[in-house]
Amino acid sequence: MNRATGISHVTLIEYLSLERIVKRLSVLTVPADALTWHRFFGALLLSLLVLLFLSGAFMAFYYSPALGSAYDSVDYALFSLPFGGIIKGVHHYGWNLFLIVLGAHLVRAFVVSAYKPPRQMIWVSGVMILLFVPLFIITGDLLTWDQKGFWSTQVRLSIIGSIPFIGDLLVRLFQGGPLTGIVALTRFYVLHILFLPGLLAFLILIHFHFIKNNGLSYSFSSDNYSTKTVRFFPVIFNRWLILFMGITLVLGLISWYWPAPLGDPADPTDSSYVPRPEWWVLFLNQLVTIFTGSFSVVGSVIIPGGLAGLLIVLPFIDSSPERHPVRRKRVMLCAAIIAIAILALSIMGYLEHFSTPHV
Amino acid sequence: MKTTVLGSGAVLLLGIPLISYFVAPSLKKATGKWVDFGAIDDLTPGSIEMLTYEFLVKDGWLVLPQRGFVWAKTNQDRAIKVFSSTCTHLACNVIWQEEANHFICPCHSGRFDSHGNPVAGPPTKPLSTLESKIEEENLLVYLTF
Repeated sequence: MNRATGISHVTLIEYLSLERIVKRLSVLTVPADALTWHRFFGALLLSLLVLLFLSGAFMAFYYSPALGSAYDSVDYALFSLPFGGIIKGVHHYGWNLFLIVLGAHLVRAFVVSAYKPPRQMIWVSGVMILLFVPLFIITGDLLTWDQKGFWSTQVRLSIIGSIPFIGDLLVRLFQGGPLTGIVALTRFYVLHILFLPGLLAFLILIHFHFIKNNGLSYSFSSDNYSTKTVRFFPVIFNRWLILFMGITLVLGLISWYWPAPLGDPADPTDSSYVPRPEWWVLFLNQLVTIFTGSFSVVGSVIIPGGLAGLLIVLPFIDSSPERHPVRRKRVMLCAAIIAIAILALSIMGYLEHFSTPHV
Repeated sequence: MKTTVLGSGAVLLLGIPLISYFVAPSLKKATGKWVDFGAIDDLTPGSIEMLTYEFLVKDGWLVLPQRGFVWAKTNQDRAIKVFSSTCTHLACNVIWQEEANHFICPCHSGRFDSHGNPVAGPPTKPLSTLESKIEEENLLVYLTF
């Protein structure tokens, strides 16, 4: 009972017509093994996403998407505002960590066969999210209008442009013309802060829809699965809050010690600037370097496209009921070969771009 | 059935104007113009020199200077060939290295010889040559954008 208003919690819930939701939430339980450490990747991703949305939305207060003003507006927000460096840093380190955790989330789901029937669509919707995320990075990197963002965009767009038949049109659609100028910047901006987040929220909703209807995957010791459950509210919810505060503190501290990078303002004539590919794209970049001439399509389209396709259809290729990784030797071997190939290409790319001095 | 028809109607009603609105500037044909690079007497015969340009380009609602450079190769007989600086691999700018006698792309270590032909690294297509002409002793190059 609230003394000042005389309205009890119960009636407030009634006023807001929330009885049904509160009741559903209070009886909602999840299997107790939802609390194991390797099941926290999803919750961690959600926490990171909240941080990315918040830091991004607040950076938008000071961002001005125009040539000659974009860079200065970022510089201003970074250095002239309280917590400016930390908010940009949380966004910067946040998406890097998001990619890592997204990878871990995928690997875990693969290893424990979380994609097996009836959960195929949970996997498929998750892979869709994974394939969607790079669009955020492509559009976001240009916004600071610094050298790195500008020249990385040039390289990425020319990779997209090398796709046969539709490449050139795609680049033009993306940029709103042949130039990386004001039209392109405005497009990237509105895609980054409005269209892509909207679509991502929709994709996540679909992911949750399938999780809700098909349930979490069983643990291997499935005998105690059916017996032990914990309440979602408050047990799981409180864990999420702890996780959220933890990750916020960690990202905040990292940003405080190592401020988010901001290079020199973009200069389209400065050919001395060599854009170095980011860690997550090293293997793709290396593929593009290996296949040359008429085979360049193999590296830029066929292999990446094939990999993406393979990820999507995995639950339909491997639908045997066997779930333990030890008893799925063939699938695990294939995955290991692909993983090693990606790792090897990444290391090759790293050596080429980061350790050899450029002429 | 009725819902399908009405739904398709709604999608078309919204889709046509919105998509046209979004796509329009992307479909504009590339244009070009002759850019004056100054007197040909300033070029040294038997060398490859960087010529920078800056001219105004209309990009959407802004008119802004577009900057860049091209490589002019002047033969002993004063014949001039102009190469685009854009690497045919992934559009980085190539740099002429006198000592190496090659155009070198810093991004992926692609190399082109003095005729613009690829000799090492990922590029397979030669550097594109730009249309050029000499008017009143000035070098003019046709640049597209």
